[in-house]
Amino acid sequence: MIGRWLSLAVAQAVLRALAWLLADLALIAVAVAAAPVSIVAAGAAAAAWRQGWPPRRLLAAAAWCGPMVAVWLAWTVRGGSGWPAVAAAPYHAWLDFWLLARAGSPLRAAAVVAPLAIPLGLAAGGLAWTYRTGLLRSGAGGLSPAASVAFDRRQWRHQVRAATGRIAAPGSVPLTVRGDLLVVGAVIRTVGHRAGRLAAVGYQRMRSHQVVVGTTGTGKTTLLLRLWTAFMATGLRRHAAGLGAPPLMVVLDCKGGADARRIADRFRRVLRQAGARSIAIWPDEASLSLWTLPPRQLTTTLVDLIEHGTGSAAYYADVMEALIGLAVEAPCGPPASSRDLLGRLEPGWLAMAYASSGTAADHALIRSASRHLGDVALRFRTLFRRLGAGLDGPGGFGDADAWYCILEGTDQIPVAEGQARALVDLLASFAVRGPQRREILLAVDEFSAVSRRLPIWQLYERARSLGLAVQVSAQSWQGLAAGEDERYRIAASAEGGIWLLRTPHPEPLTALAGTRRATETTRRLARFPVWRHQGTSRLNEIPVVDAALIRDLDVGQAAYIYRGGVTYVQVKRLVGAPAAVAGRPAAAVNRAVASGRAVAGDGGHADDGGPASDGGRAPDGGRVPDGGPAPDGGVAGPKARPAGARPGTAGAPPDVSAVLDAAFGPEPRA
Amino acid sequence: MHSGAALVFVAEMYGMQLDQLATVLGGSQRRATAVAARWRAAGHAQAAVLSPGPRWVWLTKAGLATCGLPFTANTPGLSRLAHLRAAAAVRLALMAAPQFTAGGAYWRSERRLRARMGGRIGLREHVPDGEVHWPDVDGPDGAGLGWAGECWAIEAELTPKTSARTVAIMRELLNRTGDYGCLAADVQVPGRSPRHDRAIYLCSPAARPVVARARDALGVLGSRVEIRLLPAGAGLAGPGPVGDAGGEGAL
Repeated sequence: MIGRWLSLAVAQAVLRALAWLLADLALIAVAVAAAPVSIVAAGAAAAAWRQGWPPRRLLAAAAWCGPMVAVWLAWTVRGGSGWPAVAAAPYHAWLDFWLLARAGSPLRAAAVVAPLAIPLGLAAGGLAWTYRTGLLRSGAGGLSPAASVAFDRRQWRHQVRAATGRIAAPGSVPLTVRGDLLVVGAVIRTVGHRAGRLAAVGYQRMRSHQVVVGTTGTGKTTLLLRLWTAFMATGLRRHAAGLGAPPLMVVLDCKGGADARRIADRFRRVLRQAGARSIAIWPDEASLSLWTLPPRQLTTTLVDLIEHGTGSAAYYADVMEALIGLAVEAPCGPPASSRDLLGRLEPGWLAMAYASSGTAADHALIRSASRHLGDVALRFRTLFRRLGAGLDGPGGFGDADAWYCILEGTDQIPVAEGQARALVDLLASFAVRGPQRREILLAVDEFSAVSRRLPIWQLYERARSLGLAVQVSAQSWQGLAAGEDERYRIAASAEGGIWLLRTPHPEPLTALAGTRRATETTRRLARFPVWRHQGTSRLNEIPVVDAALIRDLDVGQAAYIYRGGVTYVQVKRLVGAPAAVAGRPAAAVNRAVASGRAVAGDGGHADDGGPASDGGRAPDGGRVPDGGPAPDGGVAGPKARPAGARPGTAGAPPDVSAVLDAAFGPEPRA
Repeated sequence: MHSGAALVFVAEMYGMQLDQLATVLGGSQRRATAVAARWRAAGHAQAAVLSPGPRWVWLTKAGLATCGLPFTANTPGLSRLAHLRAAAAVRLALMAAPQFTAGGAYWRSERRLRARMGGRIGLREHVPDGEVHWPDVDGPDGAGLGWAGECWAIEAELTPKTSARTVAIMRELLNRTGDYGCLAADVQVPGRSPRHDRAIYLCSPAARPVVARARDALGVLGSRVEIRLLPAGAGLAGPGPVGDAGGEGAL
């Protein structure tokens, strides 16, 4: 009995092995017979594995070969008789291939069959790659259940290598592409987003709120600089084409210190290359005027800049607000500087200013509050000393295409808090009442460090109502805002997407991408380490963004979460021109005239690419050697003097009315 | 101007009416008609009444080949006739100024600029109606012209555009650094000298206020914009003042 059972088992095993052998032999025979197709399919699958391509790419490539096949068929059967000839064409091509190969002409043989073999091979390779990836993703493939994890990690490495290669090729990653798309880098992998070679976001997404989170040294600054530069380049191009208002980029760097200055220098150089003519670094090189705010707004801002207590101290806050209101809204007009305001807080000034035109209520208020005037003046004197000259003008946000504002949030927190509040008020006022409509992007880095006076959600709400886009960046989830509710509110309202770099606690942000359905398979363990290809599968909800992958991202890699999908990007680093060389202020004025931009301050505050030099022009308006590099790294143009300037002189363009009057008559009057 | 040079002139301006051709030739309209007839007989040109006023003359493919110009032979579009006449009138008026000849200035026509751009016209670059290049030579009194070495962009404005559009065009003209047809990366390179030292706007009375407002909106950059009225005879003959017959907006 036992012998019979054993012989039956052996017979079954032998039969099964024979069946497998026959099936394999049949497969090999088909592969050999269709050698051209098999070779292309194997090559395509190998390339897809090596480059980490999705299967769709091979199938799309096969589909794109359709026109070639149609032309080939039309050419092949041009003398034939209709559909039978078309149907027979592949067979004849296959036959010709083998005949030519046997005759010792492998190249001709390949040429004869290529129009047919390439699309079929690509399609076969694509299907094989689909089968392989599907098998492993569902957990049904490989020798063990861990094979799918190893496969995924290997594919990630391949995809990273391919993306790194793409961004390393010169000129392969433009800053912007047609359709107002801002190119960030090369795509590593996508989930729920369309797969492509380059990762690009639409300009309109930069006009919505965004969140960027990544620890120090992960490439956050590189990513931000690229986004800002692309925003500026696209905005300027759209403006030149009449499609929108000119862009304005305002960055609030709330950390400060030497690192902020280094980033500001990179900011200036890359934005200059993007077409921005004037870039201001506040408060180091440019200033803004707080006193351009409307009087009522100015009063509110000034009072908010001062720390108030609660309880009985609220009384003094009310007194202060009343006095500042009187000083700012005096009949002679609002103050023009901090010195002017402090002068108005001197004893007797208010009484004199309101003597002729003030109401009885004003006079009563002045009488009752005048005994606090000295204390109020003292507090504001201290405040202005802390704030420095950066807010005392001259200058406004409209004077430059881009502003990089450095707030010493690490070193002098109370000062930075006041500055942040004042800068946001100024920008809001500019957005509402500015002389020219601008498409504004406000980027705030580590704003939570200075947001005690102005909660960041309030900034969000204000920005939305003013048409500003806010881009909040932080080193961690906790750095986004002070409270958990506030953090969730910020992240959830990031309509422009979330950029996630390596960070130790990405779960709250990755959870915002949601989940997707995936097949999960269990496999039966025969005896370790052998798992059978038998088990059950079920659909399961898994996160769209793998938090473990985010924790493991390398430098320069980012995940872009948008609308329930994610694109992993290898960010392309922007390299700016060499740093500018300082020169004489007069040249800055000349340059401003030539480029049509106002210089904030007295020729040294705002910057349009370097404190003094301009590509191809010597500081005094004379010539620099033709073709030689300009001091700021630009290339000398054919003309070395300012546009419109008389040779050898600097300043206003020469008068051409002689020739124009002779040709067309004098300029008509309005 | 002899008839060969006039043939090139007509080719550069897409087409001309006989009265303007007479000005080019420096003779009467009867002489212009005779010259045009000779061109037609030689197969160099065609003529027809396309608009109110004298007949239009334009070059055929053979005529363009004779001139050695790489343009595509086309009949002037009806919607462009008013603008073409205005541009030709501006060129003629400028050429009549003594400084133009004395300064050795050169008019580079819109057709030349577009031909240089080749098939890349669809890039939304604005092409001026002409460029005037002033070489570095002495003026009529022996002294150097103040504007020698400059390049001017010429715009003939018949119909008022929106102020924003006009500002955008002015800004593009004054900030452009590369030649037409250059690489896209060279169109506006920060730090390089602008290509056009100034923009000269020749406006109809209707378009002048918008152009003036746009110049004011440019701020300092506006100092490089000059505004004048279109010369007499720049409009198509027939009812209505200059500016009611189309213009660049109809291009």
